[in-house]
Amino acid sequence: MISLIDVSKVYNQKDNSTFHAIDSVSLSINRGDIYGIIGRSGAGKSTLLRLINLLEIPSSGTVIVDGEDLTNLSKQKLRHARQSIGMIFQHFNLVSNKTVLENVLVPLELARYPKKERLDRVREVLRFVGLEDLMSKYPSQLSGGQKQRVAIARALANKPKILLCDEPTSALDPNTTKEILEVLQSIHKELDVTIVIVSHEMDLIKSICNRVTIIDNGQVYETVDIKPKGIVNSDHTPDWFLTQLTEERESDNA
Amino acid sequence: MPEILVQYQAEIWQSIGETFIMVGVSILFAIGLGLPLGTLLFLTRKGQLLENRYVFSLLNLFVNIVRSFPFLLFVIFLIPFTRWIIGTAIGTAAATVPLSIIAIAYYSRLVEQSLIDVPKGVIEAAISMGASTREIIFKFLFVEARSGLVLGLTTSTISFISYSTIVGVVGGGGIGDFAIRYGYQRFETELMTYMIIIMIILVQLIQFLGTTISKTIDKR
Repeated sequence: MISLIDVSKVYNQKDNSTFHAIDSVSLSINRGDIYGIIGRSGAGKSTLLRLINLLEIPSSGTVIVDGEDLTNLSKQKLRHARQSIGMIFQHFNLVSNKTVLENVLVPLELARYPKKERLDRVREVLRFVGLEDLMSKYPSQLSGGQKQRVAIARALANKPKILLCDEPTSALDPNTTKEILEVLQSIHKELDVTIVIVSHEMDLIKSICNRVTIIDNGQVYETVDIKPKGIVNSDHTPDWFLTQLTEERESDNA
Repeated sequence: MPEILVQYQAEIWQSIGETFIMVGVSILFAIGLGLPLGTLLFLTRKGQLLENRYVFSLLNLFVNIVRSFPFLLFVIFLIPFTRWIIGTAIGTAAATVPLSIIAIAYYSRLVEQSLIDVPKGVIEAAISMGASTREIIFKFLFVEARSGLVLGLTTSTISFISYSTIVGVVGGGGIGDFAIRYGYQRFETELMTYMIIIMIILVQLIQFLGTTISKTIDKR
C-alpha cells in the first residue's frame, strides 16, 4: 500500500552543513496494517510520516502510495493523490472559525464531491465518530477528544484508503486517548483503512499496531511484527487518582 | 443647533461628503489591492507556501518606502503622477490618488500581520487535504484570520480619515481641511471645535462597528 524506497530528507543548515533528518529509509506498509512508528524525540518519526503524503518533499528516494509514485507527480496530481490520504495531527489543526459541519465539509469541497451528497456524507462520518449532535458547534466549544474526533471525521470524509496519524493522542488525557484509539480501531475494522501512527507512547503502539518500526537518528533501527494487545481500559476516575497517590505514599513509608 | 453650524451648513455637508468619497475610495483600494498584496507578502515570506526572497523583498521595499514618506511630502511628490492619472493635480478626485496608494501599503502590512497569526498547523492540514494555494487562501487563511483582517481595516480607515485632512494642500477638501481653513486660518475656533467633535464621533462609530463585527465573527 505504501512503499518508501531509499528515502532521505536532508536540511541545509545555517553553517552550510547538512542535517539528515531521514537517512536512506526503506519500508513497506501493507494494506490493512495498523503500522506504528516509534522513537525518541527528534528521531525523525514525524518527518518520516510527513514524507508519505509529501508534506515534506524527500531530498532523494521514491514514495509509492497505492501504486502511484508520488515523487513523480505534477502538482495537481499530487493534490489529487493527497485527497485520498487522510491525516490527523497532535494539535488537531481544525479551522476554529468554522463549525464542526463546515470543517468536515472542506475536504469534500476540495475533492469536488457531488454537491447534493456532501451534507449526507458529513452526517455519516460525524455519526461514525459519534459527534452528530455537535455539528453546529465551533471547535473552541469542544473538548480535546471531541476536537480530535472532528479531525478524524474530516480526514475520513473523502473516503481515504490511508489514514496518517501524527501523535494523535499526545495532547489528550488517558481516558480520551482510549476513546480515540477505539475510533481508530473501528475505522480499521469497518472501513478497511490502512493506518499509520507515529507516537512516542509505547502503550498506544502496543495496544493497536500489528507492525512497528523503531526509528533512531533518522534511520530504521528495527521493524517488528507484534500482536496488538488491545486497548487497555484506563478509566481514570477520582478514585483511581487517589489510589495511585496514596499507594505511592504507603510504599514510600514502607 | 448652534448658529454657526447653521450658517456654514452647506459647506459642512459638502466637506463631510468629500471626506466620505476620499476615505471610501481608499477603503476600496485597500481591499482591492492591499488585501492581495498583503497576502502575497505573507505567502512569499521565508518558510511559507510561495517562499520567494526576491518577490518578498520587492514588495516589502515598496510598502516600507510608501509608509516612510511623511504624508504631506508624499502628496506633493506624487503631483506629476496624479496629473498623469486624473488629468489634474487639484481637487477631491486628485487627492484620492496619494490616499489610495498609502491605503494599499498601509493595509497590506496589517493583512500580512494578521495572516502570520494563523496557526501553521492549519495550513499544513490544508495541504494534507490536497488544497491548492488558492483554496488555502480562501478556505483557510482568510477564514481563520477574518477578525484580524476586519480590525486591521478599521484601524486603516481611521488612519485614512486622518490622512485625508492633509490633502487640503491640493484642494482635496474634506472635513479636516474645512476645520483647518475656517478654524485656523479664519479664527473660527468654535467652528473648528464642532468639526473636531464630528470627527471624533465618526472615528468612535467606525471603531465601534469594526470591533463589534470582529468580535462577532471571531469563534476562536
